[in-house]
Amino acid sequence: MPGDLAETYRTTYRALVRFLYRKVWDAERAEDLAQEAFARAVVHKPENARGWLFIVAANMARDEARRAARERRHLTLLTAEAQESGPPIDDALHAEHERAQVRAALDQLTPRDREVLLLWDSGLSYDEIAAHTGLARGAVGTTLARARRRLVEAHEAGEKGEHVARG
Amino acid sequence: MSHVDDGTLHAYLDGELSLPEAQSIEAHVAQCPACRTRLEEERALITRAGELLAQATPPDREVPAFRPGDVKPPVRLWWKVRLPLAWAATVALALGVGTFLGESSSMRRARMPSHQESRDSADQVAQNAPALDRLAAPERQSRRESRPRQAAPSTRPPVGMLADKPKPMAARSMADSLSMADSTAYRGSSALNARAVTSAEAERRVAAKAAAPTAVPRPEMVSLGDRGYALKGAQIGADSARLLLGRDPLVVPDAPIRAMYRARMIGYSGMVIVEQALDSSTVIEVINGRASPVQLEAVVVSGAGVPRADSLAAAAPTPEPAPAAEKQKAERIASDFFVDVRGPLSTDSLAALRRLLRPLRP
Repeated sequence: MPGDLAETYRTTYRALVRFLYRKVWDAERAEDLAQEAFARAVVHKPENARGWLFIVAANMARDEARRAARERRHLTLLTAEAQESGPPIDDALHAEHERAQVRAALDQLTPRDREVLLLWDSGLSYDEIAAHTGLARGAVGTTLARARRRLVEAHEAGEKGEHVARG
Repeated sequence: MSHVDDGTLHAYLDGELSLPEAQSIEAHVAQCPACRTRLEEERALITRAGELLAQATPPDREVPAFRPGDVKPPVRLWWKVRLPLAWAATVALALGVGTFLGESSSMRRARMPSHQESRDSADQVAQNAPALDRLAAPERQSRRESRPRQAAPSTRPPVGMLADKPKPMAARSMADSLSMADSTAYRGSSALNARAVTSAEAERRVAAKAAAPTAVPRPEMVSLGDRGYALKGAQIGADSARLLLGRDPLVVPDAPIRAMYRARMIGYSGMVIVEQALDSSTVIEVINGRASPVQLEAVVVSGAGVPRADSLAAAAPTPEPAPAAEKQKAERIASDFFVDVRGPLSTDSLAALRRLLRPLRP
C-alpha cells in the first residue's frame, strides 16, 4: 500500500465506517464496505483518495440498500415493533433506542440534505462536498443549514410523538 | 449591509468562509443584534445536530489492519499469472515453429519433380545451413541407412515432445533434398523416402491436432480433477444460488463477482460456479456443490454395449479418500458441501484462495 494511502486509511477509516454505518445501519457490514472501498483504492490509486473513498462508499451503500431492500423490509418492521413494545431498561437498550430515533429523523431528510450532512460529519470540506454532490460550493452552507434544522426538528417531533403515544 | 442568510452563517460557523468574507460577517454581526441572536441559535443548532449524529455511531472498535487478502497489488497477481502465461507462450511458439518448418519443407517437396529446381532449393538450404551441408555429404549413405530406425519412433511422438521434435524432422528432410540434388541415381529412392517422411509428418500433424482439444477443455465442462466433470449451465443470480445450495455460496472476499452459473454434476443436488475476477486478466471459478442427500455408490448404465472412458460411470464421484487439503476443508465446511477454486494460477495460489473463501453475504 502506498504511504499516502496508508495515512488516509489511518485518518479516514473510522469516518468512512461511520458514514457507511449511517447508510446501512449494520456495524459489521459498514466495516466490510469500508475495507472494500480501501481495497479498491489500492487498485485504482485515486488522486484525491479521501473524496474518492467517500464517493465509492456512497455508491456501494446505495447498491447495498437496493439489494437488501426487499429482504430487510419485513425484518425492519419486526424490529421496529419490538422496540416499541416496552421502555428501554438499560444503557445498551437506551443507546439502541437513541440510535433508532436518530435514524428515523435522518430518514425524514431529503437524500441530498442527508448526504451533505453525513459527508460534513465525516470530515469533508465544503469543497469536497461540492465535488461529491455536484452542488455549487455556495449552496453547501444553505443545504447544511436546512439539513441540520430538519434533523433536529424531526428528532424532537419523534420524541414528542413517542411521549404522547406513551401518555 | 443586509442581514446574513442561514447558509452563510453556517459556512461561517463551519469555518468555511474566506478571511475577507468572515471579517465582513463579523463586522455585520457586531452592529446587528438580530443577526447576533441568530448566530447563537445556529451555533446551538449545529451543536445539537452533531450530538444527534454522534448517537448514530457504530460501536467504536480498533481500526483493523488491512486484511491480507486486500493488500494484493496487481503486481503480485501478475507474478502468479506469469508462469502459466510463459508456458502458454512456449507451447504457442513451439507449435508455430513446428507449423512453419513443416510448411516450408512441404513446399520444397512440391518442387522436387524438377531436378534443376531441387538443386536451386538445395543451394538455398545450403546457404542457410552450411554446417548441415558439410554433415550431409560424407554421412549421406549411413544417414539413409539409419533413417528408418530413426524415423520409426518419431512417427507418433508423445504430446510433450512435440515442441522439440520438429527441428530434427525438418533437418532430415533438408538432408533428403541435398542428397537428392547431388545425384540423379538416387532420385527414385529419395522420392520414396520423401513420401515416407511426408506420411510421418502427416501423422505427426494428426497427433498434434488430436492433442489440441484435450489441452483446451470444452467451455461448458468444468474439470474437477478426480471428481470428474461438472456441466456448466445457465447464468443465475445470488438468490438462485442460495436456493440451489441451501446456503450462501462461498466466494473469495473482495474479488468482484463476474457471474454465477448453475452447474450439474452427478452426486450433487445443487452446484453453483462463481466467476470472480482477481484482476483484469485473471478469472477464477469457485465451485460450490451441495452433495445429494441420496448418495449413489455407483452408476450403472444398462443397455450400453461397450463401456467407454467417457461414459457416465467414469464421471461419477469416486469414494476414494480425499486428499489432505480437502479433508481440511471438509472439517471447516459442512461435510455435505463441496467447494473448490479453479483458475489459471499455481497450486499454491489456488490453495491460498481456498483458505480465503467466505460465504457471500447479501
